[in-house]
Amino acid sequence: MFTNFKSGRYVAVAAAAALLLAACGTGGGENDPGNPNAPQPATGETITLDGAGATFPTPLWQALIDDYTRNVNPNVRINYQSIGSGGGITQFKEQTVQFGSSERFLSDEDLADVEAARGCPAVQLPAVYGSVVIAFSDDQFDGLVLTADVIARVFDRDIVNFNDPAIAALNPGVDLPDVEIAPVHRSDGSGTTNVFTLYLEDEVPMWADKYGSGTEVNWAAGTIGGQGNEGVAAGIIQNPGGFGYVNQSYAIELGLPQAQVVNADGNAIYPTLEATSAGLDGLEIPESYQFSILGIGGEGYPITGAVWNFFYECGYTDAEAAELKAFWAWALGAEGDAHATELGYAPLGQAVKDRVLADLERINASN
Amino acid sequence: MSTATEATTLRSQLRGTKKGRYADPLFKSLMTTAGVFVLFLLGVMIVRTTVDAWPVFQKEGFFGFLFGMQWTAQASNETTNPDLMLGTYGAWPFIYGTFVTAFIALVIALPLAIATALYITQAAPRRIRNSLSYWVETLAAVPSIVYGLWGLLFFVPVVLMPLFAWLESTFLGDTFLFEGPVRNVSYLAAGTVLAIMILPIMTAIIREVFSAAPQDELNAAYGMGATRWEVIRQVLLPRSTSGIVGGTMLGMGRAIGETIAVAMLVGGSQRMGYSLFFGGDSMAAHIVSTFADAYPETIIGLMAIGVALFLFTFFINILARALVWRVGRLGGDSAV
Amino acid sequence: MSNPANTTERPSVTMSTRELASGTAEVSEEIAPSNVVFSLDDVSVYYNKFRAVRNVSFEIAKHEITALIGPSGCGKSTLLRSLNRMNDLIPGARVEGTVLYHGENIYDEEIDPVEVRRRIGMVFQKPNPFPKSIYDNVAFGPKLDGVKGSELEGMVEEALKGAALWDEVKNKLKESGHSLSGGQQQRLCIARAIAVQPEVVLMDEPCSALDPIATTRIEDLMQQIKNDYTIVIVTHNMQQAARISDRTAFFVTEVNNESDTRTGTLVEYGKTSQIFVDPHDKRTEDYISGRFG
Repeated sequence: MFTNFKSGRYVAVAAAAALLLAACGTGGGENDPGNPNAPQPATGETITLDGAGATFPTPLWQALIDDYTRNVNPNVRINYQSIGSGGGITQFKEQTVQFGSSERFLSDEDLADVEAARGCPAVQLPAVYGSVVIAFSDDQFDGLVLTADVIARVFDRDIVNFNDPAIAALNPGVDLPDVEIAPVHRSDGSGTTNVFTLYLEDEVPMWADKYGSGTEVNWAAGTIGGQGNEGVAAGIIQNPGGFGYVNQSYAIELGLPQAQVVNADGNAIYPTLEATSAGLDGLEIPESYQFSILGIGGEGYPITGAVWNFFYECGYTDAEAAELKAFWAWALGAEGDAHATELGYAPLGQAVKDRVLADLERINASN
Repeated sequence: MSTATEATTLRSQLRGTKKGRYADPLFKSLMTTAGVFVLFLLGVMIVRTTVDAWPVFQKEGFFGFLFGMQWTAQASNETTNPDLMLGTYGAWPFIYGTFVTAFIALVIALPLAIATALYITQAAPRRIRNSLSYWVETLAAVPSIVYGLWGLLFFVPVVLMPLFAWLESTFLGDTFLFEGPVRNVSYLAAGTVLAIMILPIMTAIIREVFSAAPQDELNAAYGMGATRWEVIRQVLLPRSTSGIVGGTMLGMGRAIGETIAVAMLVGGSQRMGYSLFFGGDSMAAHIVSTFADAYPETIIGLMAIGVALFLFTFFINILARALVWRVGRLGGDSAV
Repeated sequence: MSNPANTTERPSVTMSTRELASGTAEVSEEIAPSNVVFSLDDVSVYYNKFRAVRNVSFEIAKHEITALIGPSGCGKSTLLRSLNRMNDLIPGARVEGTVLYHGENIYDEEIDPVEVRRRIGMVFQKPNPFPKSIYDNVAFGPKLDGVKGSELEGMVEEALKGAALWDEVKNKLKESGHSLSGGQQQRLCIARAIAVQPEVVLMDEPCSALDPIATTRIEDLMQQIKNDYTIVIVTHNMQQAARISDRTAFFVTEVNNESDTRTGTLVEYGKTSQIFVDPHDKRTEDYISGRFG
């Protein structure tokens, strides 16, 4: 394990070195690979990078930052404030941070605002994917097959019992008990809700009419709100018949029983990281990186969203720009992927990664 | 000659030092500046927030905003032109939730606070009295997130849910206020935990009020052969009414402003539930829940809630002062 | 209520009562057993470990005014409060010895202090009317007994008359008790105490917060009511004791140098005329002649 870890580091350093300009070489070149925990001699000024935004990727960002600043480049300090996607966009627009993170991409209008304020365009790049899963309180429901239509009707309080014929039709041979469903949603505005409602809006006309999509929607009476993933988890576990949506990473961590969701090709898919990645293989991502992950078929799990990072094309010091590129390039490498999968996030596919790595060079490019 | 010298000396002594003569006026102006600065800061906050929130009031109308039943956030960056705003911003569900949770909290906390304060000041042995006061005051300093977590992970599922389920199974369940189903988060769950949160501050204040009652007066009643209960009922409580009202209002202020614990327990719905077992949202809780991920237009709506919250707090304070004054006058309370 | 016979009996320092002086007995002048209200035997009062009063024994006679005098800290107020179990209200206070009230030990386990205080009322150093109307102040005690309506009004009027306050307040019974002057307030407190018709009224320096004129009125009042009540008064004013009381108990303070605590004890008890004219104890003589205290 330890050897793997070290070789992983070599790969990361090599990848970074290959990609970066000479000026960035300080990032990894001076490390002593044989002793990752040894404090590194200070070879220059400490560079501080501030970021802010979505809460969803926070555990991953923290793991990445911790590993990077401990083992790759101790001369950089990276602070990430998890203030929410909306806050990340606002802070990025107001130029109080070096990078922003968000579960929604910047619109053309947002990009124009930034360009007007900063005097140069912004760069937005997808960083990682995450799925949203339906979780239950009761282990006997693990693997229950649901469609977007059934999920929407549950949250509409149209389907109120696990033994509803619509659920029974999807699960032939499963003995469904007479248990009232307690649908649990996020009470706080969140990107998770955005991904979940975008999916329902896209798949179910009734949902599009009545609820639409967004970080917060007008939930039906009789549903239960939970503050954060913790609140939703508490709502699912504590209420008999608990039925709620949480980030895949959170469900994995808690070991909650989860539903199989029928995708666009009619396949019932259990939410695994492989299923998430599989769904993203055929994804067409435009030049602008403004995309939503909808209509997934094949072996892919259908309820998935992405996290974007935002940078500027100008205004950083050379050292800041170099470190931003070095860190995020490293995060896309093997080590970053290892952290992501361990924490329940799905890394970008290789083709997208190559494009993102190339586009990282736009940071400070028009300085 | 000598008298003239004496006069001069006396005069110079009376004049004191320059430093001494200017110390007081300087100190006074310093204090005045600090006081005015605080007022100025408050004024700027109010004006700025109101100005920012103005488009929402324009769009919905002031009373339309206060009593509107529908709150629909929309993804838009419009923050100035009310005609271009897409959402609907009626804050009544949150105003209702704020007062319902605060009211539940008061109904539960007030008798408990009075009983605890009575025990501490009138009945407890000295040793218990001191440690109990200490613990009560410590509880007042516990951050609200701790109450929220404790409520969500322990108190609600272990204590309240069985209790509420029982309540719902009694005749109360047939009334609309206690209509089920009982879920983990609800107005009643939030209100009950709020009661525990405001209990320390209310107990501390009411205890002070009871302690301030002259022992002479109590002794006079005891000396006439009044029992402990009679002394409390006839002498201590009547003379403490204004203090109890003041403590209650302070508790209510905290209950109304309490944010994170309510957000975790109230169920976070934009709809207004009529049953106490239903979920809803309070003003402060809705702001904290949705602010981080809100679009600019909705942030303006949340600011308008902030303005309303400020107005309510302001009026409750005025009401509290009027009530304390009036009750004090009726009861002949010398403190008023 | 004024009784001429009473006035003639009023003791005076100038009165010669030599015939009472006999021997060195600390407690002289026995009281007829039928007239004994309180009989104290070896009473000590403690506050936790601290002994405030030690080994006090004497008897208090019916329908007399008994004065407890002595320098400050001699425990006279403490002893007074032990007569109706007011000390029970102070945490850590306890009484040793026996306090017999008409032959009943009021510290017996079965005795309810509330019932004791119904019979043995108290007036305090500082006038302490409740923040209620004059009427409600006096009605407080009878109301506890469940008295209502015209009977209550009658009792209030009677008590106010008994306290010589009726004429001054009869037109403003609804005004706050706090609106009265200090002397009136103290008479209100006396009215409040006698409204429940106790047998004994304990007075703890009732005039110490009043001016001379108000003091005189209270003293006159005490003389007027003593035919109906037994009065025990603590005073630091020797002249007052000499003017109004029938019997006087003189207490001193003993300083314990080891623990730096003060304990009060009874030195001499007898007819007021004897105590002030012919004190048997050197310490009493020194005190009343102003040599210490």
